[in-house]
Amino acid sequence: MIKNVLTHIGGIEIYGILSVLLFFTVFTATLFWALRLKKTHLDAMARLPLHDGTTDSLPPISKPSQPDSSHE
Amino acid sequence: MNVETFRYDNRIVRAFAIATIVFAIVGMSAGLLAAIQLFYPAANLNLEYTTFGRLRPLHTNAVIFAFVGNGMFMGIYYSLQRLCKARMFSDTLSWINFWGWNAVIVAAAVTLPLGLTTSKEYAELEWPIDIAIAVVWVVFTVNLLGTIAKRREKHMYVAIWFYIATALTVAVLHIVNSLAVPAGAFKSYSIYAGVQDALVQWWYGHNAVAFFLTTPYLGLMYYFLPKAADRPVFSYRLSIIHFWALIFLYIWAGPHHLLYTALPDWAQSLGMVFSLMLIAPSWGGMLNGLLTLRGAWDKVRQDPMLKFMVVAVTAYGMATLEGPTLAIKSVNSLSHYTDWTIAHVHTGALGWNGFLTFSMLYWLFPKMYRTRLYSVKLANYHFWIGLLGIMFYVVPMYFSGVTQGLMWKQFTADGFLQYPNFLETVIRLLPMHRLRAVGGGLFIVGVFIMAWNLYKTAKHGNFLADEEVQAAVAEPKHVPADKKWGHRWLEAKPITFSVLTVLAILVGGLIEIVPFYLIKENVPTLSSVKPYTPLEVLGRDLYIREGCVGCHSQMIRPFRSETERYGEYSKAGEFVYDHPFLWGSKRTGPDLHREGGKYPHAWHYHHMEKPESTSPGSIMPPYPWLLTRKLDTSSLQARIKALRRVGVPYPEGFETTAKQDLEAQAQQIVLGLKTGMIDAPPDREIIALIAYLQRLGTDIKAQALAETPATP
Repeated sequence: MIKNVLTHIGGIEIYGILSVLLFFTVFTATLFWALRLKKTHLDAMARLPLHDGTTDSLPPISKPSQPDSSHE
Repeated sequence: MNVETFRYDNRIVRAFAIATIVFAIVGMSAGLLAAIQLFYPAANLNLEYTTFGRLRPLHTNAVIFAFVGNGMFMGIYYSLQRLCKARMFSDTLSWINFWGWNAVIVAAAVTLPLGLTTSKEYAELEWPIDIAIAVVWVVFTVNLLGTIAKRREKHMYVAIWFYIATALTVAVLHIVNSLAVPAGAFKSYSIYAGVQDALVQWWYGHNAVAFFLTTPYLGLMYYFLPKAADRPVFSYRLSIIHFWALIFLYIWAGPHHLLYTALPDWAQSLGMVFSLMLIAPSWGGMLNGLLTLRGAWDKVRQDPMLKFMVVAVTAYGMATLEGPTLAIKSVNSLSHYTDWTIAHVHTGALGWNGFLTFSMLYWLFPKMYRTRLYSVKLANYHFWIGLLGIMFYVVPMYFSGVTQGLMWKQFTADGFLQYPNFLETVIRLLPMHRLRAVGGGLFIVGVFIMAWNLYKTAKHGNFLADEEVQAAVAEPKHVPADKKWGHRWLEAKPITFSVLTVLAILVGGLIEIVPFYLIKENVPTLSSVKPYTPLEVLGRDLYIREGCVGCHSQMIRPFRSETERYGEYSKAGEFVYDHPFLWGSKRTGPDLHREGGKYPHAWHYHHMEKPESTSPGSIMPPYPWLLTRKLDTSSLQARIKALRRVGVPYPEGFETTAKQDLEAQAQQIVLGLKTGMIDAPPDREIIALIAYLQRLGTDIKAQALAETPATP
């Protein structure tokens, strides 16, 4: 049955190869894209979440100097 | 530089946060109740509404769309405003998003226990709710893109790319998979049948995992992890490759849910190869997350928020290594239909989505309430109880999955099945199922601890509804021609970015799905395969209503261990009239594709009334209401017409005589029951269900015997 289906789709055997080739093209293009970027831009972008305009008026909970023993 | 003052909207973030906590408790409790029923069936409370088949979709929908969905919106609404340095595009749209989404969830919580379901996994909701989902999703997408459009930051940070991919892809997946012809207010038939329906469903199902449970959370990881660690992401370059490779590859992997089924081999192989390739971007993303913590591991020791985050990212890594492994055909032949899959998805759901959501909640509450967390100690308790819960859940499920898979395949030295009685393989798993419920219970206890801790935090703080900030207005800069089409240029072009994203996800879908329209012309329809009779149609709809597909597959794989146990393996041509397909994905009970004619009518009658009477030790719940309730035939005409519209070749006008046809066949079933000493009225639901079960998989037997098949 499956053989029957396969013979009825024209050129189905190249689908797999075509798909993998397509992926490698996309992947190579992305790699090229990423490698072309300048370090200054990359650093600025990576730091973006750290400078969102808000100021942390309170210390983060992780600071060991701020135990919350009153609640424990 | 022109500096503007504006306010971030924290109120909408808080609303989604509260909904996240509420639905964590609801969704996980439904899961726990379902888990308990798998060793103690009486936990269905003797109610049809809380029986496993209806409870399971309620659990999966509540956890995916209510818990993770609200958690996703919470994180996106918080981080997007800050990454864009802009308030949300429209407060009205934000609140339509919130109330609309949660109204959909309430609709799901009402309809699923009532048995109003399409039976397609994670897409069970019926068509009116599907339309509502589409509308709410469009509102979210407009709000997202609108906010991006009015951003004060020139370039879009990586988290935003993941949000864009989520919004656009989920829209495509939801619409394509939900296409159906209505046959009543809450009843519809999928426009696809059999193999095509299976492929579209798992293209959707797999990418619901990809674009609902993974990409938005990756975006959130790229925002909240650097924030918590107070250092930038390890490699921004890697995040670019992570993003594009991931969204391009993910969409192809769907067919790995259908290995060794009647799906053509080329599609199975494609699904397997692309699943294996997915390890690369997934691990790239995981390592990018973990390496962000380099030099900051001391913080992980002290900050429970980071502990949750580290386990979440590690669970993502484990699940994304395991997924491709399970997509290898030989591994899948053992794992498929067993608890191994359940273990796999819960590593992702409890570890990745659960822990990342908890991490965000612990971070957001103190921030929005301008205070410190009420108790770090309680958060640490939550962490360890949750982790223990994951272990107690996942490890027994691995044992259970491998045990059952091996028992199904075990032959004696003489070449007979060693465990021919399916029940033997179920009873062996019960200790594991009990342990799993302990794991799930622990995980929920952790959520209660968190809810209390966050409530107390809120009580001690002052909520900052509108957070005032200042930022410079982004000024348009001239981009030289040679810089155009670089990634930096693209990061400032949301529309071009969105178009490229849609292209990347459409390619895979089109290459896989379009050939199936060609197949429609070419599948040699088995001449003996006929449409279901009216009584069988209604019986099949009862099978769908009760969620039988949650525990019983209808797809016999071409292995000797399966053909010995169940009969001839399933062929694609047998499902051409199955709207929707009911292949299932889990065998808590045996496969039913060749159930027709296996037992007398009376056996089914007794079995549905009290499963233990025919199958001692069975964990199937009883369905006594099927024996007493009258079969609703009022919608029969509408159903026959709808089925004709989706392509079932019922002759014109058949709907007018369908009722007589139904009654005649019901009389035949009643006669058959009489020989088993059962006196049943012909107008009960059980009669239709028996008709359907006795039809299952019999068409090709008719072909073998060269008998004249029954006409509809």
